[in-house]
Amino acid sequence: MKADTLRLLSTKGSRQGMWLLPLLIALGLAIWLSVQTQQFLNAGNLLNLVAQGMPLIITAIGQMFVILIGGLDLSVGSVISFTTAVLALDGPGIVLIPGVFVLAALIGLCNGVIITRFNVHPIIATLSMQYVLLGITRVLRPVSGGTVPDVVIASVSGSFLGVPLPVFWGIATIAVAWKLLYGSRFGLHLFAIGGGVASGTEDAAHNFGIRDRRNIVLAYVICSCFAALAGVFLAGRIVSGDPNVGLLFELDAITAVAIGGTQLSGGVGSLHGTVVGALVMALLANGMNLANVSPFIQTMIKGAILLLVVSLQSRKKMGL
Amino acid sequence: MAVALDNSTVRRLLRIPPAYYVFVLLLLVLWIARPHMLNLNVLGIFVRQVAPLGILVIGQLLVMRVKSIDLSGGGVILLINYCISSGTFPGASMGFFVVLALAIGIGVGLFNGLMVGKRRVSAVIVTLAVSIILVGFVQYLSSGKPPGDVPSMFTDIYNTKLGPLPTPVLFWVALSFAMWLFLSRTVFGRFVASVGENAQAAHFSGVPVERTVVLAHVLAGLFAGIAALVQTASIAVGSVRVGLDLPILAVAATILGGVVFGRGEGGVWGPFFGVLSFALLFVVMTAFGIGESGKLVAQGLIILLAAIFYGLRSQRH
Repeated sequence: MKADTLRLLSTKGSRQGMWLLPLLIALGLAIWLSVQTQQFLNAGNLLNLVAQGMPLIITAIGQMFVILIGGLDLSVGSVISFTTAVLALDGPGIVLIPGVFVLAALIGLCNGVIITRFNVHPIIATLSMQYVLLGITRVLRPVSGGTVPDVVIASVSGSFLGVPLPVFWGIATIAVAWKLLYGSRFGLHLFAIGGGVASGTEDAAHNFGIRDRRNIVLAYVICSCFAALAGVFLAGRIVSGDPNVGLLFELDAITAVAIGGTQLSGGVGSLHGTVVGALVMALLANGMNLANVSPFIQTMIKGAILLLVVSLQSRKKMGL
Repeated sequence: MAVALDNSTVRRLLRIPPAYYVFVLLLLVLWIARPHMLNLNVLGIFVRQVAPLGILVIGQLLVMRVKSIDLSGGGVILLINYCISSGTFPGASMGFFVVLALAIGIGVGLFNGLMVGKRRVSAVIVTLAVSIILVGFVQYLSSGKPPGDVPSMFTDIYNTKLGPLPTPVLFWVALSFAMWLFLSRTVFGRFVASVGENAQAAHFSGVPVERTVVLAHVLAGLFAGIAALVQTASIAVGSVRVGLDLPILAVAATILGGVVFGRGEGGVWGPFFGVLSFALLFVVMTAFGIGESGKLVAQGLIILLAAIFYGLRSQRH
């Protein structure tokens, strides 16, 4: 029994990474919050928890695809702000909503092509993309304002069959990501490419005949599209465009992915781990809000958690 | 493309860091479009403005040569600016503030270095996290409001001139010169070059790889501390936003100057001209009335294009 538990908790040789421990942490946090505060366990707050955590869950799932191949996408925060700004452009929803996904796919395509074809380090490519997008977003919408299409607002605030709509967003996102990661050749190739990168032989997957470049590009496209989806959700929540809504979102997403047991060096990770990691972050944010912690302290705590989680992961490479 | 790259003149020209081309190009643009701005007084003011950036770049190029990166400079500058301007240390002397700034810089640099070198954590994530922790800390202490004024002794020194040249610019040039000597004449300079080229080979040749990386980060922190002092003197007031865009500009100037992760072709003077290019870019953008958003786009594009410039030359498969 003890050996079994240890084997489940140890990550040695596992492709999924350590995701049971964060699940226990999430459960512990939920139980502790419901014992400590009266406000936690009521329908209003739980709905709030889901609705507040959903953008992070969606973004983190997208980020996971990129982290699995040993990359990193620092532009997701800007993609989110950009999406809300585009949605608030005062046009018909039938044009704007597909439009933001096309734009996000183009952004991801740019990231991927620059990284694979022009041989630029992912961090540098996405960091500069972050600034380019931030600039464009500020031109489109210098301060928050405008109104987003009614369809978007209705899709996040209503409920269907007595279940609030954000829950369906979560189910749909997870289903799509599950199909991509575990139900397709693409998902398997991601693990192969990432495994090679993590062990220092970047060409390993390529040498096995995997078309690594197009899979890497596709991973960045998916990451951007998920970020855009989170942006649409957030736009529906705040009912307007906001150039600063995605600020530091990329770090929250990376933290969530890392908490869920996905190795930042690539090749090891899981979808359920990422969802659990995002849940931990959402519970933490909710708990800190209930306890009236200053937003500045919340930023500090999030930064400290990121430092702690990534310093617990071991990797061979030094530097970037 | 392949034919053009084989041509030896083209190849030799491509080896010159893009910073020099950009610098000349911007001078030409300015000379054609706004010739009246090309006088020593106007340019002196703009160059003086980028002196903190230039000092930060000296540290940045060091960490980038050992394949690392330091994005925590913004947090360090903000914290030191707060310490000086908030009046937490009433009646403190200049020397106290200088020692405090250097100590904060070295402390943060040492933490970054240990995390990157010993714990092998991704440098981007460590330094970004450290930065947001420091920013959150300062904003918590000041409740998001600008603290107070900077003691006038800082501004007094900042405004002095030695002949026609402003002191901060001379200080920056002197520090760059010191770093150039340090990298080209000392054993540590050779260590930095070898770790950047191939960390494994360096390790087997007996180079203390980890210690070199840690020391590079400590020095980068130290330079961030110095940059914070100059920046604080230049804006003369406390602020909760000062210096937050400096780290990304420093990365941009360093890459523009020909120092890309692990490769130090540009030396110290390439990034130096990278910073000067940014000074000119700000002049040009001010002259043409391009706002803050345009600057963000320009920063991003410059990093991207400079990185592509180097990436194209090191293709794999």
